[in-house]
Amino acid sequence: MNIVNNSEPIILGSQASHTRQRGKIDKKILSGYWLASPPLFFLVVFFLIPSVMLLVASFWTSKTFSMTPAATLANYARALSASGFYDSLWIALQNGFWTALLSTVISAPVAYYIVYRTRSNAVLYLALVSWFSSYLVRVYAWRSILGTNGVINSTLMHLGLVDQPLEWLVFSKFAVVLTLVHIMLPFTLLLLVSGLRDIKKDYLEASADLGASGATTLWRVIMPMAHKSIVSSFMFTFVLAASDYVTPQLLGGRDAMTTGLVIANQFRSVGNWPLGAAMAYLLLCVFMLVYALLLGVLRAANLAPGKRYHD
Amino acid sequence: MIRLFTYLYMFFLYAPIAIIALFSFHASASLSFPFEGFSTQWYEALFHSSDFMTALTNSAIVAAGSAILTTLLGTFSALALMRMKGRIKTAFAFMNFAPIALPGLFLGIALVIFFSLIGLPRSLLTVIIGHTLFTFPFFVESVRSRLEYFDLSFEEAARDLGASPLQAFWRVTLPIIGPTIAGAAILAVALSMDEFLITVFVTGSDTTLPLMILSMMRRAVSPTINAASVFMLVVTIAIIVIAGLVMTLRRRRLELERAETAE
Repeated sequence: MNIVNNSEPIILGSQASHTRQRGKIDKKILSGYWLASPPLFFLVVFFLIPSVMLLVASFWTSKTFSMTPAATLANYARALSASGFYDSLWIALQNGFWTALLSTVISAPVAYYIVYRTRSNAVLYLALVSWFSSYLVRVYAWRSILGTNGVINSTLMHLGLVDQPLEWLVFSKFAVVLTLVHIMLPFTLLLLVSGLRDIKKDYLEASADLGASGATTLWRVIMPMAHKSIVSSFMFTFVLAASDYVTPQLLGGRDAMTTGLVIANQFRSVGNWPLGAAMAYLLLCVFMLVYALLLGVLRAANLAPGKRYHD
Repeated sequence: MIRLFTYLYMFFLYAPIAIIALFSFHASASLSFPFEGFSTQWYEALFHSSDFMTALTNSAIVAAGSAILTTLLGTFSALALMRMKGRIKTAFAFMNFAPIALPGLFLGIALVIFFSLIGLPRSLLTVIIGHTLFTFPFFVESVRSRLEYFDLSFEEAARDLGASPLQAFWRVTLPIIGPTIAGAAILAVALSMDEFLITVFVTGSDTTLPLMILSMMRRAVSPTINAASVFMLVVTIAIIVIAGLVMTLRRRRLELERAETAE
């Protein structure tokens, strides 16, 4: 790999040394561009172009697994005219909303504890290790705990506390959200901790010295300064949970068809790729609407100042 | 109060994992307390299954391939980011991060359409590409903050003393950033071992460890799945812990060295 030809002409004199300095800076930045080109090439070929192709394909027509180029809005019209699409969207948004809300709210006190109460990073590291412990394994764990023949039900029946397995434990919205929260918690914790680390303890002490109660400090000092990390924690979790197609499939039962699952099925079993592509872009648009809505609500509630206080 | 809450939080994170680990050693096939004794029969069944060995081999190939590709591309990105400034740096950093800002589902279906339109048959190669798209942003993110403090004047000094750019990289930059890169590379292996949201779409007939567990889960409940899950868990956690140690040990050593020079 040719990084950059760095041979410098030898120039004498005071004015020349100024030019030499400039040339050096330019070269440094130029070599940055050269170095950026292999990853950029990879990202353009395998990320940008496929994303654009997905968009283009959403205007094509299809017959089981084969696509024909066209310029039609039929896929969008078909998706938007089916009531099943709205049902699946509603379930996906609910999964996303509850998972994001619960994960963020539950992780917040722990993030506070890690940043202000303890000096060790052990809790954070332990949580992160569990984040990297397979997603699928955790879905499976909840299924074997909540399932009809699972740990809770068989133990209850064994002890004679119930005659019939508790059906609502598994294959319900409860099971899906519980599992998704379990999966997302470490991720929200990481984002919240890095947000709180930017807020020095001095601010909290100053607020207390000036007579603010704990709640006032939380609401008037921490929230405005941490709102960026709270919003990103909520939004990332929302998008990941709402578009998930495996947890609803394995734990959600028949009524838990989410848009992600509908899209995945278009690609795996049904074979109408353009329709799936159109639904994927519709889902992305909905996510962006949710994001705009969230920012609007926070601004209206006066929790999202335009600028950061600490810089 | 808040300490108790934190302990409960950790309990919630680890209890389900502990339960399936426990039942993977259960003597009977039932998932019920009280426990009926320990046995390693499910692990024996697992390691004698040829499906499992194939899936394991495939996962290892994919993890190695995508980790190598990720490390190559990610190191270029890291070196580029150290040299960039201002808006271009922000844009390039965003571009590096973008693939994981989107759901895995989206990446999976975009790649399926792309591979089919360019006529690349789905195989382990396409899985490696898909995984790299997912591991590369994590690699760059985990390396970036640690390399912010890298002093480019070391390189410049080497260049002034007559080293070629490659020599300067090999003899000066790499020894300094090496452990960070190694830690992130191991992280990429762990991420790839676990990945299945993209894999489901970009694989042909090849199965990986998570895909095998997924299809076992669809078919039946069997304690062999517990054993397979626990096996995968142990592998990824071991990898993560190694990655963490590589990265922190290096930092400790640097801090020690700095303390010594300060004296």
